[in-house]
Amino acid sequence: MRKIFEVAKWEFVEKVKTRAFIISIIITPAIIIGFSMGPTLLSDNESNTTQAIGILDSTGVYFKPLSSELEEYKLDDGQPNYVAVNLYNKHKLFNELKLAGDSLVLTDELEGYLFISEDQHSMKYQFRGRSIGNFKDLKRFERSFNKIRTEIKLSGKGLSSELIKYINDKVELHPIKLEESGKESSANFLVVFFTSFILIMLLMMMILYSGGMLIRSLIEEKSNRLIEILVSSCSSDELLTGKILGLSALGLFQIIIWVVLAIALTGSSLIPADAFKNVAPMLIYFVLGFIFYTSIFVGAGSIASTEQEAQQLTSYISLILLFPIILVFSAVQNSDSFMLQLLSYIPFTTPSIMILRLNLQEVSPQEILITTLILIISIYITITVAAKIFKIGILSYGKRPSVREIFQWLKEK
Amino acid sequence: MNVFHSNIQPFNHSNVIIWFWFVQIKCFKSFANLHLIKKKAIFDFGNHIIGCMLSVKNLTKEFKNLIVVDNLSFEVSEGKIFGLLGPNGAGKTTTIRTILNIIRPSSGNIFFDGKPITTEFFNIIGYLPEERGLYKKSRVIDVIKYFAVLKNIQAKKAISLADEWLNKLDLWDLKEKKIEELSKGNQQKVQFITSVLHEPKLLILDEPFAGFDPINQEKIKELILSFVDQGKIIILSTHQMDTAEKLCSDIMLIDRGKEVCSGSLKEIKKQFGLNVVSVGFSGNISEIKNHPNVIDMNLYGNRAEIKLKEEVQQSEFLRSISQQYSINSFNPIDPSLHKIFIDVIQRNADIR
Repeated sequence: MRKIFEVAKWEFVEKVKTRAFIISIIITPAIIIGFSMGPTLLSDNESNTTQAIGILDSTGVYFKPLSSELEEYKLDDGQPNYVAVNLYNKHKLFNELKLAGDSLVLTDELEGYLFISEDQHSMKYQFRGRSIGNFKDLKRFERSFNKIRTEIKLSGKGLSSELIKYINDKVELHPIKLEESGKESSANFLVVFFTSFILIMLLMMMILYSGGMLIRSLIEEKSNRLIEILVSSCSSDELLTGKILGLSALGLFQIIIWVVLAIALTGSSLIPADAFKNVAPMLIYFVLGFIFYTSIFVGAGSIASTEQEAQQLTSYISLILLFPIILVFSAVQNSDSFMLQLLSYIPFTTPSIMILRLNLQEVSPQEILITTLILIISIYITITVAAKIFKIGILSYGKRPSVREIFQWLKEK
Repeated sequence: MNVFHSNIQPFNHSNVIIWFWFVQIKCFKSFANLHLIKKKAIFDFGNHIIGCMLSVKNLTKEFKNLIVVDNLSFEVSEGKIFGLLGPNGAGKTTTIRTILNIIRPSSGNIFFDGKPITTEFFNIIGYLPEERGLYKKSRVIDVIKYFAVLKNIQAKKAISLADEWLNKLDLWDLKEKKIEELSKGNQQKVQFITSVLHEPKLLILDEPFAGFDPINQEKIKELILSFVDQGKIIILSTHQMDTAEKLCSDIMLIDRGKEVCSGSLKEIKKQFGLNVVSVGFSGNISEIKNHPNVIDMNLYGNRAEIKLKEEVQQSEFLRSISQQYSINSFNPIDPSLHKIFIDVIQRNADIR
């Protein structure tokens, strides 16, 4: 027991001290948050300044109402969000105007312009701009135009403006997420998506980072035969257990730092407070998932004897880890899918899928219990298998053993 | 025996006795052929047993139908250096690994003081592997301490012992440095410390002098000899035949997993030595070549190396030539272990 503790202590202390670890503890969440929050922050920024939007209206009907409609949208500080610029000039050819409009956009004089043309058969309505990714703006342009169009059509049929206003009175839909016992909260698609995404990414990055570290240190120990000194001082089981424990402590330490960091950030409203309501079960999945993958890494790492082999193994494992991330988007849209339920019970995906589901919906305590048990049993099995591979793997150098050989190792007593 | 007991810390004296009896009884039941050793242990029980020893019996290790170690048996008693010699791939490392209890033999047994080795023996074994290297990014003192606590030394004691050793090997100033900042020679010294800090009863050294300059080689050699005086059991595996010749009292030469020859250095030299004499002379002695007892002769100015037939007595030969020629000196040439090694291994290869 004492030797297990000493190995764990060594693995923990020596790795915590490295500069790489200290950097990763700050950089990893910064990168992930940067990647996921960045776009939203950027688009928010854009709409904080008044945008010049051109309107090229060949019909001559829409410019006036559309520009006043657009100027209704205000920024937080009360300034208008959009300023409409009329690009139409009856003395010029329509095609020339279009080219002039395009060049205004390309020289950044305009954010973009709305292009309206109508012939007998059809109506054309385009937004021509450098960036067409801002859904909020596009939605507004579309809604405003259709409102005006309806008004024009209705007044063409002789309806009074009062009546038109009456018809046009629309109600917006507010999504409300239902939870246990009458609690309700307004679920924001983006918030749910990004919290799940961030948490799963964190888990993945952490596992890959420390797994890679583990394999590298194992290869180092193998190549300079330190491993032989180690296993002539303690049994390979003690060594393996110590390594897994030490690394798990390292992972836990990392999470604790991140949780503290995150709670501090919620104060500054960068991360929604919502993200932490299921923090206890999430932490359990985090830690168990970490231990599960770490024991896989230990077993796999003991087979490798070169850096390249290690990288190969790491990339195989990262493929399994990446899988749930691909699912995040569709899962957010349909959190009840059979696929998602199924994957919750497969130990490889249990941690990330359960973290995802805890974010999306109410998960019953029984389900949490069962999946946790499955994970614990799987950890026990992987550690037993890893221990057998480890015992022989750490002493075999050169050629990587074939799958058949590994099976033989497993059979050995 | 007393040293061994004091190394298993948590037992008090009465526990040790009970445990000792228990092991004895167990051994008695399962290893009838070791009857004699056990009897000795029982009779000496309570006194200091003189000559605690490591004995390897019929050790065989197979990997995938390839026999790497083939029926090796040897004994090393305390205060002696045992040389395990052989060409590359002879099975030295595998033999060492089985003694270290890292791998299990396919058949055969290893006994320490009459008891089969178990994980309990981890703490009294010191091992210096051939490939060197330590945790590059870690501090010298931390590395030494880690390997010591893994041998069940208390952390505090480990640090004071480390200080002592660092002083002894002139590494005191480098204590806080990272391993990678040390010169190669100093890294080797640190590794040497890690293998002996816990005062192992059994010390296995694989090429201990590789990578040291002559001054440090001398230092390490002195240390090893001081271990002999302390009554440690030392197994030395090396390619350097001159070092083996200087240090080892017993050797075993193995090739392809099989024992080629073994015994005390003297016996082996006698057994494999060729009948060669060096003769100093004046005048012309080239006629000796035709002497009936001479196989071959090499002339070096005023000295000649003469190879005699195996059965010829050197004194007889001297008498027969001293009448005819003027002989100034006459010395038997002791064959070097190096020569024996090459001859024996080559002969072995020729037979195959």
